[in-house]
Amino acid sequence: MTGAEPSALDPRWLDAQFALIALQMDPAGFCGVWLRAGHGPVRDAWLEQLQATGCGVCKIPAQVDEDRLLGGIDLAGTLRTGVVVYQAGLLSSADGGVILLPMAERLTAQLVSHLCQAQDRGVVLPRHGGVAATSRFGLVALDESDEDEPGLCAALADRLGIWLDLRETTLAQSAQRVTLLQPQEMAKAKLRLQAMHHEPQHLQALCEVSMALGVDSLRACSAALRLACLHASVHGRDALDDEDLAAAVRLVFGPRATRMPQQESPDEPSPEAKSASEPDNDNAFPPPPPPSEETEGSDAFEGEMEQAPKDVLLAAALASLPPKLLDSLLVGHTGSPNAKVSGSKGQTMRGLQRGRPLAPRPGKPGAGRRLHLLATLRAAAPKQRLRKPWGGGRIAIRAEDFQLHRFEQHRPTCLIFALDASGSAAQQRLAEAKGAVELLLEQSYSRRDSVCVIAFRGTQAQLLLPPTRSLVRAKRELAGLPGGGGTPLASAIQTAYMQADMLQRNGSTPMLVLLSDGRANVALSGVGGRAQAQADAQAWALRWHGKRFASLWIDTSKQPDPLAQQLAARMGARYVPMPYVDARRMASVVENLRHPLASA
Amino acid sequence: MPSLHATSGLGSYSSQTCTSQPSKLPAGVSDGNAPLMHKDGLTTGPTRSMALTFPFSAIVGQQEMMLAIQIVAVDFSVGGVLVLGDRGTGKSTAVRALADLLPPIKVVKDCPYGCDPSKTGAQCPQCLSSRTGKLVILTRPVPMVDLPLGATEDRVVGALDLEKALSQGIKEFAPGLLAQANRGFLYIDEVNLLEDHIVDLLIDVAASGENLVEREGLSIRHPARFVLVGSGNPEEGELRPQLLDRFGLSVEVKTPQDLAQRVQVVRRRDAFERNPQAFRDEWEPANHKLRQRIVKARKLIANVDVGDDVMMLIARLCQQLGTDGLRAELTLIRASRAYAALQGDAKVDVSHVRMVAPLALRHRLRRNPLDDTGSGARVQRAVEEVLTA
Repeated sequence: MTGAEPSALDPRWLDAQFALIALQMDPAGFCGVWLRAGHGPVRDAWLEQLQATGCGVCKIPAQVDEDRLLGGIDLAGTLRTGVVVYQAGLLSSADGGVILLPMAERLTAQLVSHLCQAQDRGVVLPRHGGVAATSRFGLVALDESDEDEPGLCAALADRLGIWLDLRETTLAQSAQRVTLLQPQEMAKAKLRLQAMHHEPQHLQALCEVSMALGVDSLRACSAALRLACLHASVHGRDALDDEDLAAAVRLVFGPRATRMPQQESPDEPSPEAKSASEPDNDNAFPPPPPPSEETEGSDAFEGEMEQAPKDVLLAAALASLPPKLLDSLLVGHTGSPNAKVSGSKGQTMRGLQRGRPLAPRPGKPGAGRRLHLLATLRAAAPKQRLRKPWGGGRIAIRAEDFQLHRFEQHRPTCLIFALDASGSAAQQRLAEAKGAVELLLEQSYSRRDSVCVIAFRGTQAQLLLPPTRSLVRAKRELAGLPGGGGTPLASAIQTAYMQADMLQRNGSTPMLVLLSDGRANVALSGVGGRAQAQADAQAWALRWHGKRFASLWIDTSKQPDPLAQQLAARMGARYVPMPYVDARRMASVVENLRHPLASA
Repeated sequence: MPSLHATSGLGSYSSQTCTSQPSKLPAGVSDGNAPLMHKDGLTTGPTRSMALTFPFSAIVGQQEMMLAIQIVAVDFSVGGVLVLGDRGTGKSTAVRALADLLPPIKVVKDCPYGCDPSKTGAQCPQCLSSRTGKLVILTRPVPMVDLPLGATEDRVVGALDLEKALSQGIKEFAPGLLAQANRGFLYIDEVNLLEDHIVDLLIDVAASGENLVEREGLSIRHPARFVLVGSGNPEEGELRPQLLDRFGLSVEVKTPQDLAQRVQVVRRRDAFERNPQAFRDEWEPANHKLRQRIVKARKLIANVDVGDDVMMLIARLCQQLGTDGLRAELTLIRASRAYAALQGDAKVDVSHVRMVAPLALRHRLRRNPLDDTGSGARVQRAVEEVLTA
């Protein structure tokens, strides 16, 4: 019933076609589809087909207001008629259908939270009272984000069963259309789905594959099982087949893989081991403490499944990965979009003056807060009757109606400079570094960023300049900084860490620029001793790494020093050897460091 | 029980978890063909009834989380539970399943705050004013209220009843989520992403147990004693220390890496989704047993004795770990007592303390930047040190 599928086609497009049928069959069962694709004919072709599936498609814009989303009082209608009129929310109208989320990468936490809650519970509760309504829907999240942008919010992505990536599908490939199910076919398939039987080893294979690929979420396993059943029922089978499992693995686990399965090394000796332990294999099939029900069906399948279905499925999953992702998995760098998403949160903060508008909230205007006139009128409207029993002509607005503008803005950045002023960093270089800091300070001034300077020499680091925008003060402090003495590197990183932590709590994004040769020789306790000093520095470097703040290590020694390089790696800092600290060049390096932050 | 919050309409959160009766349409739904009923044609396939939650006893593994939840269920005064961990580990499933594990409570009919008819002291203005007549008593499940991330202050604290203001021109207070959660649980998913102004609000109410509303010309004070249950993924943001402190226990959950356990989780989930009612029926005996255990523990707890030696031990432990204030000690004592009661023991001993110490103290440690070991392990280590000393 799915149209002829010549094998030369883009497998991803074929998966996308199956996703359509899955949505048609059971939109809520696997929660939905995350579709990564730019705006263009390919995506349009897919969406056009989605419309043709006949499942009610309801589009929810990112800026939808809560009353409309969840349902609530219809203000206009109520004021007109004088009787409370409720309006149904979009979530409950979408019951049984599909919700389309354009610009899904830009959804607010608020909207995502409502969507997730509705999906988890299968009901929505209107905002101002009313009766809970059933709401079981599938989601199609259209994500246009680029590689380097934060994509779909992780909470939502985790729930969506199918992850599709059509960014590299060509127009010609997308010409292939699947034949959607006819109503009677669908009814039959649904009956089959309901009665679909799966064996314990199918489940086991799916779970094994998920673990091998480093897919932690158990939601993914459930979704894979559902999709395998769906696949079987659409293809007219009454029981699961390897092909169904492979399809589910490709759709669900493939894109979520965070590591390469360790196939080669641990598995090489295992075939022998497996065949040796074959006799007790059927008893021990579900490993340690399984309940008895699991073993029932296993011997029937013993014959066909001897070759560990896991490997076959793994191959299927790996085949579906784009080569780029495969490479990054091999390197050990996680290519999962999830990982990218979670790190990039928190670069924005709420503000009152500028930025992307957020929902207004009540409060008193003044002190930089601006009145949101429209929202204020809206808040006042329902109370008019209460305030004017006599029915006067003017709108009665009270202080409690005031609504304020709110904006989301990028966090201001604060550059933390940690200057090595010890004896090993020669006087000459210290002067250069001072010059560079001053230059950066001037740049920061025009960008409204702040700067903080930590100097370290002698027994411990010293906060020379708390976060400031004052140029004069910074220059004065820097000019008075003497050089010479030991290198208390650990203390410097510790001080920087404290500052960064505080800055982050106060709503800035900290960035560290550390100028040192990495030759620590004063321990945290202030006592000399190279070994202890290094150990302390390493420990604090790790600690810093845990926070994942952006950082840059400028190696000021004449030869690039492996010690400094190693410490920088520990800190997760970018390492730049710079035998001669050139103020201009340093400024441009720092600018590079800042860049990914600014564009996020 | 569905008639419970008929006036405010806000109560349906609590009732929806367990009611399986068809929903009634509110009086003036404008969109006639819209949504409130199940469209049968579209949801063939395994249907999930809207009302049914996954049975608590069917949750696989996650012993620490299950233990913390049971301890809090025995003794509300332990404080809330914070569940931190990966996605898709069954955090919200466990929390949502909790409510129907607990025995139903008796409430005053039509009281928006669900006051306890047997306690005269702690009642809301409404119950106090209608004291003249005889109170009608209803039985209903323990409220389990979800606080969505983007909830407005109005929604949380309560505000002017728009419906009444619009249709009748009457100024009346419509209770918010805090009122609904009274005597039950307030659940915040992704608690670490909650907006600051809501956090401020919660911090105050969670400590005082009452909600004070002074806005829009309303002046209301009503009881809001609830157990705060939060879950979140610590990688996405940290909690304010003050909010952290409001949680009595904290647990860390991880995705099970044991294959059999994973298979079990997926199998049960699948069975539940295929036929929720049958699955619940199947697990009802186990749930019932657990419920009995909690009820028994609640009766027992008043008589569980905490000896001086155990008190000393707890004090030394907290001292060793350098926890601030006395809240750590208090929580640990209460949690140990609740755990002992759950075990059916009449006296708290070292084994109880050892079991619950990580839960009660983990999130109260001062961070030691040079110690990479997890805070749970640090507590465990301190327990051993103090015990052997």
